[in-house]
Amino acid sequence: MIVTNDVHMHFRQGLWGRQVRALNGMSLQVNEGDFFALVGQNGAGKSTAMYCLLGLLRPTSGSISVMGQQPMLGSDLYRDVAYLPEEPHYHLYMTVEEAVRYYASLYGARVSSQSVSASLEQLGLAQFKTLPLSKCSKGMKQKVGIAQCLIHETRLLFLDEPTRGLDPLVVREFRETLREIHRRGATIVMNSHVLSEIEMLANRVAILEAGKVVAQDDLANLTTLNRELYTVAFEGNGTAPEYLSGAVKTGDIIRGNIPKERLFDFMELARVHDLVVHECSLRRNSLEDSFFRIIRGGESQTDGSKRTEARS
Amino acid sequence: MTELFKANFVADLIYFRRSRLLLGFALVFLLLISLSIMPSLFAASGVQKFNILVQIVESLHFFTQIFAAALALMVVSSHLRNRSLKMVFTKPCTPALWLASAFAAAIAVILAISITVLVCSLGLSFCWHLSVKTGLLFSALDNLIASVGTLVYVALMAMLLHPAIAVIVVLVFNANTFYGAQFQMLALMRAGNSSTTLRVLERMFHYLYLIAPVFHAFEDKTSTVVSSLRVTHGEWRYLAYSLGYVLVLSAFCYCVALFALQRKRHI
Repeated sequence: MIVTNDVHMHFRQGLWGRQVRALNGMSLQVNEGDFFALVGQNGAGKSTAMYCLLGLLRPTSGSISVMGQQPMLGSDLYRDVAYLPEEPHYHLYMTVEEAVRYYASLYGARVSSQSVSASLEQLGLAQFKTLPLSKCSKGMKQKVGIAQCLIHETRLLFLDEPTRGLDPLVVREFRETLREIHRRGATIVMNSHVLSEIEMLANRVAILEAGKVVAQDDLANLTTLNRELYTVAFEGNGTAPEYLSGAVKTGDIIRGNIPKERLFDFMELARVHDLVVHECSLRRNSLEDSFFRIIRGGESQTDGSKRTEARS
Repeated sequence: MTELFKANFVADLIYFRRSRLLLGFALVFLLLISLSIMPSLFAASGVQKFNILVQIVESLHFFTQIFAAALALMVVSSHLRNRSLKMVFTKPCTPALWLASAFAAAIAVILAISITVLVCSLGLSFCWHLSVKTGLLFSALDNLIASVGTLVYVALMAMLLHPAIAVIVVLVFNANTFYGAQFQMLALMRAGNSSTTLRVLERMFHYLYLIAPVFHAFEDKTSTVVSSLRVTHGEWRYLAYSLGYVLVLSAFCYCVALFALQRKRHI
């Protein structure tokens, strides 16, 4: 669906300012049907990467292919593409209904009033259809962006920090809508800082650092089981073994990690002290763990690619 | 293609209708015109009424031209500065189509205003029992053409520059400025000053006058029409020349503005 190869994007700050390398040899691949997430620190180049994929920026060098074409402003490629920007840079002078109709009609087909009404109804915007966008909350504006995807069946959806600034209730609704769009067969490319959210939604992840993809893999591979550690949770009555690491006490329950070789010691301790064990399972690395390990460990792109290839 | 053009055209008309800045500008301008004309409305004789009619038509035409500039400035700079165009260009809508629809929407508004001004001037002629002059139609068409010229020139500048700088450039870089400057240089030379700098400056202003856009092409040939509202047979051809000039200017401004729009970073 999307293939980029050694993409460089250099900006100059001002006319005579220093050159900034926003992308520094980014190579990634998004397959059809993926829910793909770009993650990285601030300034890693996530938004620039998305702008390049959308054709809003022309890379300094390297190649980008989206559905077999090079993205260009307003090209036919976008018949199957939708984009929700990070900041709601919408046509603020329009009402909710006008904006949904306008964005949907930009795909070149006639938009019926019924389809507009149905999408507004589905997203809970029907009662706000006459409200100007300038007076809408960010969540409502994001829903306006989503409504166009519901009217026009999108094959590829780009989301730039979609849940930033949204309240938890709206985030949950939004997540469900994205899952629905993905279930319909759309490929979704999203960038976000919220790793827990990516864990809930994405099936493939690329980690960017300093404009370069340092790891790219299935989420399942990035959140593998750690076979060296067990996570245990038990009612402690004040006894915690010295080999328990990362212990956190919540009420009566102590949760922490124990090394594999001390598992039987822990079981013996539990038997002797009659501890109530709530959980004892192999520790699963979160995306956050993998992210920090890769960023701090400086795992190279080649390693990530090799790992991906080996597993596929 | 037609659907896309229509969608953008309607969106721009909605923008014009909802822009409070444009509405405020129009109201203030019309109020000023009304205040300046009001005392003369109490004139009794036919000649006085004719002169008032000429004055009203001239003022409204001036307003139309200024309003055309405001429309162009607003539609281009507001969309660029709000960065809302990234929502348009990430759909199958090309910058060429968007720009064409923005120009068309602004011209449609100016056309509507020009028709309103013409209908008002014809209505006043009837009310004041003045004979309907062909000059009213001529000056309406001439002003419409001039307004379109102003509109496309301002739109180009708004595409290239910050809106405030664009306004300054349009006010300075036009044929009238350089014609005046060249005239002053010539006057100094005829008064006996024949320095090389003066001659170089005179030539420079002459060439700048040739390349700078003219708001009212052939104004000197048709100036009597505005004051007398009479048109001779030969004067209609200047209208055709003006139209030709504005079409060329529009094509040039459109192409350069499109080039700039495609090169801009809509992020």
